[in-house]
Amino acid sequence: MFRFKREQNVVNLAGVRMGGQPGELASVLCGTIFYQGHKIVEDEERGLFDRAAAERLVSRQGELSDETGCPSVLHIYARSSEAFSRYLDFTEKAWSGPFIIDSADPATRMAAAAMLSELGYADRAIYNSISLATDEAEARAIRDSEVDSAIILAYNPTQPGVDGSLAVLETGGQARERGLLDAARDMGINNMLIDPAVLPLGSGAGAALRFSVAAKARLGYPVGSGIHNAVSSWPWLAGKGAAAKRGCDAAAAAMQLLSAADFLLYGPIESAEIIFPAAAMADILIAEAVQDLEIAPSDAHPLHRLV
Amino acid sequence: MTEDDNKDRNLYTDPWPPVRGDYQVGDPRSAVAVVTLASSLFIKGCAIFGQCVTENLGLEKIVANVISNCNIRFLIICGLESKGHLPGNTLLALHKNGIDQKGRIVGSKGAIPFIQNLPPEAISRFQEQVELIDRIGLVDTMEIEALVARHKREPFPSEPFVVFKRKAPLRAISVGEADLALGAGVVMDASAWLVMEEV
Repeated sequence: MFRFKREQNVVNLAGVRMGGQPGELASVLCGTIFYQGHKIVEDEERGLFDRAAAERLVSRQGELSDETGCPSVLHIYARSSEAFSRYLDFTEKAWSGPFIIDSADPATRMAAAAMLSELGYADRAIYNSISLATDEAEARAIRDSEVDSAIILAYNPTQPGVDGSLAVLETGGQARERGLLDAARDMGINNMLIDPAVLPLGSGAGAALRFSVAAKARLGYPVGSGIHNAVSSWPWLAGKGAAAKRGCDAAAAAMQLLSAADFLLYGPIESAEIIFPAAAMADILIAEAVQDLEIAPSDAHPLHRLV
Repeated sequence: MTEDDNKDRNLYTDPWPPVRGDYQVGDPRSAVAVVTLASSLFIKGCAIFGQCVTENLGLEKIVANVISNCNIRFLIICGLESKGHLPGNTLLALHKNGIDQKGRIVGSKGAIPFIQNLPPEAISRFQEQVELIDRIGLVDTMEIEALVARHKREPFPSEPFVVFKRKAPLRAISVGEADLALGAGVVMDASAWLVMEEV
């Protein structure tokens, strides 16, 4: 394991600290709720869902977080602004920590940012994401909102790989006039979380691992990814049983953490049962590995709770 | 697929389809391929059918698999559009307008509509070989299968087009300033991913 020469930023999101040197802080684990095809959702467009089931899932993620010491974030996916409004109402009552606002639809993301600002808890929200797809209208909506935390997606289709991902953050590369980091600052984003964008296996998924180390070394911001996407998009694995899929999910999570990630977008919140133990184990191994590098694990670290 | 199916001349690659993805193969001699966008549908009678939810890598797979089979002359785009990504809209734009010098699909409303792994010749071939049938939103499998049955045409008069992934030229790695310390006098240059002894 290693220690970064560059000072590592630590962000504080509604009491959850993220970033720092590997082995210093516990990994932050973000489980997705109301995702596309989520069984508890009855109407994705309107945001109708089984409230009791949702409460159980959120509560279980919280319990595992308390038990392991790995903080959790609720990753809310919504198909429409109407759905987001309902999900937000639920979140307000069921969850007191930070949450990610996410949608494939930019209009929904923008509406969510405005809604949160109006309700007065934009400081708990992480906007997912600022990327090459962020146009002027979305940039304005973010700037006009009170949201000041965002995931910056380093996807660069014009130059795949680690160099291209860093370029899109720092200079914009061939795809943009300016880097996404400068653009995000102009949108009022103070807490930047870097995500390499995980491609399918065979299309460059592995680059996310090396990118994580390179990005922290170069930029010093917290880094993480949705490495589970590499697992779920693997056609070969699709024909295998649940045990094989769970094993790969846990292994991918641990590999990403070993590659210096500070947070994981670990996919369906139901996966909390396997991801929290895998991440806690990875955190302990990493913390033990860097003990000689003058890195002390935080008080709440899994090292102090589980061994 | 048997050898006999492909014996008159090589109308499709062996194996076909050459690129893996979220699809199922029907009869490779059929003139029709079907992309069901975000809808999970089972379509009978076509050469290949499957979902596509992304406006970049997903499209590349479709193009690569279609142009490697000369029998395919029609591509039906149906099912519900994937919000934000808009692969259906992007597929239509790719076929109509192609890409610009940066690889951006001209006229697409999708989020990040770029082609990175296809040479321009593959896109030209896609434009020439297949006719797109825009039925975005259609999820009635019987109606889609009726469309499949209605569309027939002679194979494209050429060899199957095989897409090779572009390989970036190897570049020399230069050892720069170390970024990481592994202890015991060992350091790492994270950009080059080189572990070395501290000088």
